[in-house]
Amino acid sequence: MKRRALRRLSLLLLALTLLAGVSACKKGEESGLAGTVLFQDQPLSGAQIEIYLKEEQDRATLPFATTSSDAAGRYRIALPTGRYYLIAKKKVEGSGGPTRMLMAAAPLNPLDLPGGSKEVAPFNLREMGRDGALVAEAGTGVKGRIVHDNQPVGNAFVYVYSEKSAGLIGPSYGEAVRSAADGTFAIPLPAGNFYLAARKRADGARSGDVAVGDLNGRWHGNPVTLQHGETIDLGDFKVSIVEAESRKERWQQGKFAPTDTTLRGRMVDQDGKAVRGVYAFAYLDSRMVGKPVYISAATGDDGRFELRLSDGGTYYIGARSTFGGPLEPGEWVGTYDARPNHMVAVKKGEVLDLDKIVVREVW
Amino acid sequence: MKKLLVLCLLLLGAAPALALTLSRDTTWQGERKIGEEVRVESGATLTIRPGSRITFHGGHLEVAGRLVAEDVDFSGSGWGGILLKGCDSTTIIRNCRITGAKTGLFIGGGAPRIEGTTLENNEVGIELKQQSSAAISLCRISGNRKVGLFIKDESSPHVSGCTISKNGKYGVYIYRAQPAAFTGNTLSENDTALMISNAGSDPRIQGNIFSQNKIAILVDRAARPLLTGNLLRDNQTGVRLYRRADAAIDGNRFEKNNEALSIAYSSYPRIHYNDFVANRRAITLEFQSSRWEKSNGSTVRESEAESRGAFGQGSGHAADAEARRRPDAELDGTIDARHNWWGEQESRELNRIGTSGNPTFIDDGRDAPTFVDGGKEWPLDRVNFTPWQSAPNRRARESL
Repeated sequence: MKRRALRRLSLLLLALTLLAGVSACKKGEESGLAGTVLFQDQPLSGAQIEIYLKEEQDRATLPFATTSSDAAGRYRIALPTGRYYLIAKKKVEGSGGPTRMLMAAAPLNPLDLPGGSKEVAPFNLREMGRDGALVAEAGTGVKGRIVHDNQPVGNAFVYVYSEKSAGLIGPSYGEAVRSAADGTFAIPLPAGNFYLAARKRADGARSGDVAVGDLNGRWHGNPVTLQHGETIDLGDFKVSIVEAESRKERWQQGKFAPTDTTLRGRMVDQDGKAVRGVYAFAYLDSRMVGKPVYISAATGDDGRFELRLSDGGTYYIGARSTFGGPLEPGEWVGTYDARPNHMVAVKKGEVLDLDKIVVREVW
Repeated sequence: MKKLLVLCLLLLGAAPALALTLSRDTTWQGERKIGEEVRVESGATLTIRPGSRITFHGGHLEVAGRLVAEDVDFSGSGWGGILLKGCDSTTIIRNCRITGAKTGLFIGGGAPRIEGTTLENNEVGIELKQQSSAAISLCRISGNRKVGLFIKDESSPHVSGCTISKNGKYGVYIYRAQPAAFTGNTLSENDTALMISNAGSDPRIQGNIFSQNKIAILVDRAARPLLTGNLLRDNQTGVRLYRRADAAIDGNRFEKNNEALSIAYSSYPRIHYNDFVANRRAITLEFQSSRWEKSNGSTVRESEAESRGAFGQGSGHAADAEARRRPDAELDGTIDARHNWWGEQESRELNRIGTSGNPTFIDDGRDAPTFVDGGKEWPLDRVNFTPWQSAPNRRARESL
């Protein structure tokens, strides 16, 4: 059943991709983004496609451009060369039932548009709760047990992603639950396809980079396909220890890959002493909230950091000793303060020395 | 040949060890120098014999399996400390000494036993996270630069019989956690001996001695502990309640403190059956007004929450605090401090001035009727000290 559904989805995606290719060719030189939006793997018509110039938390501002998806879930929007954030949403008025809001950001945001027509990978919208979490359906979900070396792993986090294009890392998960002391977990979910990952960090954090010695794993049967009213028992979900070599490989990929556009500097305390274990974060939004676009590796004993950017532009720089979440006592925190708004402008191909970022401990 | 072999063995013994993974049961004895991470895999046990001295030049000891160490000296300068990751109660660190680490002992989850151990001159002595229910008893936690014992992340340890002194910022910091027991400890000469902070931190702090600290107990940001049967003596401030800290303060003895109780910013404790003896001042109120709280409390907290960002603008827990608001009906402009014994001299004063008088040992709205906030005058609350006890409370005596 699952295999058949996957095959149908693959065929659908293939067909849509081919159609998109033809469409893009026909459009010739016109610059813009095109793609397909889905809901529960079916094309979604009438979805509002919004284009922003900034990170998702700036949705209160008016979008830069909008369009809507057609009967086949397709959209196309003319845009000049640039970098964009694409968000799709649709309000579904219930017939007697509650109004539902479907929403998702393109998993590969931000989307660089160097010119011409660019096809955005299809992605599913999901139903949003008040807090942005997935809205579970009665009797629907997954359960299982996190194990390492056949031993149960308590206090691990199990993450549910709706998309796999972000590599099942980062804060784009729709749900995260902590396993009980006996390693068991149960996650209520809506029907649909989900990708599961599990991690247990030494510091107990829900988010942040995994370190050598942490436990990490992806469910071997991804994606998990849930029907309405179905709860699937996954059984044992194995995680393994993060080894130094595999972590090193990961750091050579994605946001940590070396680039020719770099911001660098030193993290120091108020006495000018180097501070170890602090990350630099680059945002496109001056408020510096939500998910940063770039993150450095943690500073070493010399306090030095490098923020490797894929493009030049204007960034807002902050620094913390942990990833995300509310500030906790004992944490180091600071901002790049050469300008009051923490902004720095860097050209593509430029290596810019920010000198120092002063961080302080929060108590 | 034999001499060469001996020389090789000596050299091996003297050289710092590199990264080491112990995947089977291992015993260490004697002196050992560590330069990198040592990891004890799940299922393996590292036993360190009494009298051993482990010196770290960087690196750390991480235990995912089991550690049994008794009478062992762990030392170094700026090393990573001992990390116990999910270790159960068969992991025991007994009568050891851990010094010079960033975090002497990090306990992530599990329920290891730490007994009679000294944690000294680290940045942080012990840090508990991941709902750890470790048992920490009879330890000496002293001279750590930042925090002696840091209890976070819904951890619920048993902490008993420990001596916690001369730590830089905080002797003990309980942040969003709830120790199953915190009793029989002595906390002295700390800047702040015990910090209990944020909603979700509602521990029972019972039968401890706090002496010669700047602040013995600081309760902040909607934490609601029960403080009972403690002796607070010779501190600059005995208990400071700050920012909606609605503690229950029951059956304690406040003796010879400069200020026994300080209450500020919309904190509404219950203060019953305590003994106040020879303090310079028993209770002081600052910026504490029911009327201000009813008019502005929610708005101010919401506005603070909205302006908070990820890089130092605040903790972002205002919503939690808001959810724990007392009903408005309880905000009647008074602090409930009935049934306390206020001391010999103070009792005589109370008998003289009666229930409507203004006691000299309480600094409240009777002394400064208003304070100014936002360009407006607000009435300062008053302490309701009636009825009072005519003799020391049995409850305060017996619990110590």
